[in-house]
Amino acid sequence: MGVIGVLDDIAIERAKAGHLDALERVYRAYEGMVYALARRVCKTAEDAEDVMQETFLEVCRSIGSFRGEGPGSLTAWVKRVAANKALMRVRREKYREADEFSEDGPNAGRRAPDVALQLDLEVALSRLSDTSRAVVWLHDVEGYTHEDIAEMMDRTVSFSKSQLARAHTRLRGWLGGE
Amino acid sequence: MHCTMDEMLAVRDGEGSARAKAHVEQCERCQVEMDLIARRAAALRALPVRRPPRDRWLVVRGQALAERRHARLARFGWGSVAVAAGLALAVGLRGVEFSGRDDRPAALVAEAAAGSAIDDLVAQSQQLEAALRAYGPDGRVMSGRAASLVAELEDRIALVDQGIARVRAVNGSREQLVNLWRDRVLLMEGLVNTHVTRASYVGF
Repeated sequence: MGVIGVLDDIAIERAKAGHLDALERVYRAYEGMVYALARRVCKTAEDAEDVMQETFLEVCRSIGSFRGEGPGSLTAWVKRVAANKALMRVRREKYREADEFSEDGPNAGRRAPDVALQLDLEVALSRLSDTSRAVVWLHDVEGYTHEDIAEMMDRTVSFSKSQLARAHTRLRGWLGGE
Repeated sequence: MHCTMDEMLAVRDGEGSARAKAHVEQCERCQVEMDLIARRAAALRALPVRRPPRDRWLVVRGQALAERRHARLARFGWGSVAVAAGLALAVGLRGVEFSGRDDRPAALVAEAAAGSAIDDLVAQSQQLEAALRAYGPDGRVMSGRAASLVAELEDRIALVDQGIARVRAVNGSREQLVNLWRDRVLLMEGLVNTHVTRASYVGF
């Protein structure tokens, strides 16, 4: 069942008033979406679960100040909260050094072309740096603009664009002609 | 010269330069790369959706309730602290008044000592409250177990506050107040420690 079929305006208003049964409905409606996003942006399943928890705690705290109308608007708001939390975790965990190694280390550079071609997209995605993976996912899949991403990451638009290009270049190199 | 990845992505997103657009239109190789970019993005969108392995609602619910309780306690707790501090001050002043005319110096010394102890404990409790506020527990996340412990400590502190109010209402002994304030300080220390050692920063 889709999100819109699960939540109606009355349920949203009750959630905004802090009713726990309505907040649980919000959780049930969006847990899949939030986890899916978090799991693609974060490195581990544990991180993604934590992001999901943080997202819904934030939803419980702040839904009273949510000013949008209708489930579609709420979906965008919850997704934005999740993206922010996921990016915050990416920044906090400081995975970058390890990721740079996994992307640019000697093994990556010397991989035989036939092996590279065998890497599927899942594996290739997981091998990107956290930042590049987050940007390519948020831009190419979730539809956020570079301006959105720059704001959420507290970086520049140019940074977001360069990370996207970097991600595509890596994926192109690992996956070949697909 | 062929387009770079940045240029091709910009063309795809409708932001490319006129030169890059013109080149892509004419260059078979860059068109192949543009097609690969589109196919990669489509493949990313087609990846299977990952489902959460566990239900976290009860943890979220527990934390949300603990935060609400904490907020209520903060309002109630500060009110009682202010009242109790006022009481301690009043009791202390009365002791000073009595000191000029009472001929029981030992009792007065004991009373004064108790009043001083209350002042110290109230100050300690206030410092711990301030430290907890500065730490910002609302911006942090903790496990369900830690949240339960926090809720229990907050409930016990609320009971102690009620006890302080009761003793004050019946003009109970300073010794009782000292004991209650001592309990409150210990519980507050436990609360601060629980927050600091078991929560991680979330931020908003």
